[in-house]
Amino acid sequence: MSYFEQKEPPKREDRLKACITFGGTICGLANRPKGSCLDDGERGFTQGSICLLLPGLAMINSLPDSVVLVHGAIGCGSSTHGQNANIRVGSNIRQGKVKDALWLSTALNESDVINGGEDKLEAAIQEADRRYRPSSIIVVAGCVPGIIGDDIDGVAARVQPQVNATILPVHCEGFKTKIWATAYDAVYHSIGRNLLKEPKEYGNVVVDELEELKEKQRRSRTVNLMNVTSMGRVDELELERLLRALGLEVNIFPVFAHPEEMYKATQAALSISTCPTHDDYFLKHLHEKYGVPYIIKHMPIGIENTSLWLRDVAAFFGLEEQAEKIIAEEVRELEAALEELKPAFAGKKVFISAGEFRALATGNQLAELGFEVVGIRSFHHDEFAEVEYEKLAARNKDFVVDIANVQPFEEANLLKKLKPDLFLGHHAGNGTASKLGIATHVIYNTGLSYIGYQGVYEIGRRLYRQLKNTTFNKKLSKHVRLPYKEQWYQEDTFKYINSRGGEVNE
Amino acid sequence: MSNFIERPRYTCPLGGAVATITALPGGIPILHAAPGCAGNLNWTQSGASGLQVGGYCGGLSVPSSNVQEREVVFGGHERLREQIRNTLDVIDGDLYFVVTGCVTEVIGDDVRAVVSEFQEEGTNIIYAETGGFKGNSYYGYDLVLQSLFRNFVERGGEKVKGRVNLWGIVPAFDVFWRGNLEGLRNLLEKLGLEVNTFFTSDDTLEGIKKAASAELNIVVSDVYGIEAARVFEEAHGTPYLSTPLPIGPGATDSFLRQIGAALSLDNGKIEEFIEAENKKYFRFIETLVDVYNDADLQRYAVVVGDVNYAVAVTKFLADDLGWLPEVTVFTDQLRDDQKPHLAGRLADLESGLQPKVVFETDTSEIIGHINNHWPRFRSQKYYNALGPLFVVGSSLERELAQSIGAAHLSVSFPVANRAVLDRGYTGYKGGLRLLEDLLSAIVIGR
Repeated sequence: MSYFEQKEPPKREDRLKACITFGGTICGLANRPKGSCLDDGERGFTQGSICLLLPGLAMINSLPDSVVLVHGAIGCGSSTHGQNANIRVGSNIRQGKVKDALWLSTALNESDVINGGEDKLEAAIQEADRRYRPSSIIVVAGCVPGIIGDDIDGVAARVQPQVNATILPVHCEGFKTKIWATAYDAVYHSIGRNLLKEPKEYGNVVVDELEELKEKQRRSRTVNLMNVTSMGRVDELELERLLRALGLEVNIFPVFAHPEEMYKATQAALSISTCPTHDDYFLKHLHEKYGVPYIIKHMPIGIENTSLWLRDVAAFFGLEEQAEKIIAEEVRELEAALEELKPAFAGKKVFISAGEFRALATGNQLAELGFEVVGIRSFHHDEFAEVEYEKLAARNKDFVVDIANVQPFEEANLLKKLKPDLFLGHHAGNGTASKLGIATHVIYNTGLSYIGYQGVYEIGRRLYRQLKNTTFNKKLSKHVRLPYKEQWYQEDTFKYINSRGGEVNE
Repeated sequence: MSNFIERPRYTCPLGGAVATITALPGGIPILHAAPGCAGNLNWTQSGASGLQVGGYCGGLSVPSSNVQEREVVFGGHERLREQIRNTLDVIDGDLYFVVTGCVTEVIGDDVRAVVSEFQEEGTNIIYAETGGFKGNSYYGYDLVLQSLFRNFVERGGEKVKGRVNLWGIVPAFDVFWRGNLEGLRNLLEKLGLEVNTFFTSDDTLEGIKKAASAELNIVVSDVYGIEAARVFEEAHGTPYLSTPLPIGPGATDSFLRQIGAALSLDNGKIEEFIEAENKKYFRFIETLVDVYNDADLQRYAVVVGDVNYAVAVTKFLADDLGWLPEVTVFTDQLRDDQKPHLAGRLADLESGLQPKVVFETDTSEIIGHINNHWPRFRSQKYYNALGPLFVVGSSLERELAQSIGAAHLSVSFPVANRAVLDRGYTGYKGGLRLLEDLLSAIVIGR
């Protein structure tokens, strides 16, 4: 049975054997037998992290003409305040109008916890439909309904005939998975189950055969470009530019896509992912159910990876020759432009922290720019990344790899030992390095350019700027300290991995 | 009552509690919660707290037990014990503070028992149960203070004349918390009082421990920290005075008089001080007079905010600035018995104005209240419009302000579009700050 026939998608620990606990080296990871998984352990000391609800909300808050209804305690959903800037800018740049995210909370209270929240949810859906008249109402479950046993799918099915909007139940109960990338599966799962049906149309009275032919021709050259919020508009435009150069039309999916237009993804000739951490669950579904083939391999960050990414797409359409011409010209121009920046990077040590694939691809890119990668911290690990570990291992000296759902205490310990010149961290993940006085740069921000050939140059330009004056962090480190005991820096970085006693919690 | 809240301007009690503990000197929050709770607060603050996130041990550095399905099934107290033990090894703090989330509360972990094991070893550790379904972030602040007063502040000892505690301003959820606290602290110190404000860089854990020696607790809020004030009174016998947040000369004059009366300070000295401070205030205003008149800077106003700002800003606009607040919207979730008291705070404005008071949690409903209050344009030749208009609210009021052609300033949470570090609006100086910010928003295009 397809995963999509079940109410909830499987968690990635089960589906992909993804893990979050590992301390070792790049050569160790690159030379393991293909497809073998790490046995995931536990840390005996942990710091706060995020759960799948946060990236889940980042995706669904972007959908135009929709209302997000968080079914949970009042705080679940407030991360939207942090994502709102992206929604405002993203709406403006794509639809020409600044728009705040529209989200609601059922704000479950103590009596709901005892008596169940289904009635409240049902009434909330009806009220949201009346008040906002949206195209879709996305019901997202947080932890509480998961524990008290509210059946959001049951409620959705019950209320659907009474409301105009399409109801999308999305499962984001944070305690159920350690791998927050399960969020992408959770959102895709509901889109796949609820939004891909073609609208009912009355057939044309007069058949225009030429138009039909044109439409067929257009579809045969239309590709789905998957984006789950990891790219801002500037990055989408860069990839559109490259794909258009191959004569392709681009359908960006699913961020900022109108729910009523989403069915078009089923008509494309090909789906292209930019990140194997994001889309495999949905691409397989599009392939199995609608026959849309897909490519999910390279991330177009860095010169080599962008070229590989474009070559794969071109090969699918038999456009290899055209692609080589584009690549040769693009790379020539880019390399020439980078000459000015590269001396500032030569031999500088860099530590990178992000989602696994992004961290690795960025590592490869920085190696291309002349940096030496001395450490990588990936938020989780799964088998998709093996190819990327191999590329990096071939290019670099051996270095440390920490697989952790953030855990800045391990990072602080590593950074004190490795003393890199530069640190690239995710959103909310540069504070530790900053306080240690290391130059920093954010590895993901939807307002900045990272992707494609243009991204290589723009990252280069920003790093050049950051390294030119590192005073902010240097001064900070003189007056502000991290919250760790001195003795922690002397300890083995991975001391708390698998330190949980065997009898504990068994 | 509605079945949902639209765009709540708060997060959960756990979020409020973590922000509060992080703001305490040497405070280390230990979350006994699901893994995403810390990140949720982090992301929330990054777009809502005037660019402030974390602190000494905040953000994603906070220790957290990150409970999973296994703990939901088998209980999480073993995991908590392990987490506390290892936190003490890794994290350097002065006061460790365990707070709980929805998951660990629903499964019924006995946090008290685990924490008391560590207390018996002599560790400075306390806890509060801050599950998300108990209220909102303002209540989380209250719960942390309650625990602090019950379990950390030393009992017994003499009251010291002239020593006061002050709270009612919620770290991170009042984006101007540091400036606001410092403003009031400085003001009261000028009166010769010794002030403990818990969260400024002048406060110490030692001072907090001795908070029971104060002769008065001043809560500059009608709601935030009030339950904690009752707990304090019960545990330590110190009475409390609840006042609105004093912004600008009018409110600050009466704030000082109230405190003077409560502490039996020399009336003459208070009046002398008030006069001197007003003189300073108006020396600044003096240079504004020409342009204020020439540019016609008086405005109608709509004020949208939490209980502290809704009252304080409306009062300032009406009674200090001479503007015309027409509608004041309280965006907190409030019990019915709290509403008359809050409305009463705006019933006897010195200027005689009577703004329409609205209690509304849902952002997109606010426009309806304004339209109800002030008839919309119906193609008359002569129309007395609600304008020129200024909306003082949160950053969620930008769409509203734009739709009705008003200027706008974000003051109440969320404040996405301003950088706030030590800025504060309390006291006489704070009034000048707020005036600067309001007028700057009007003249920005000059």
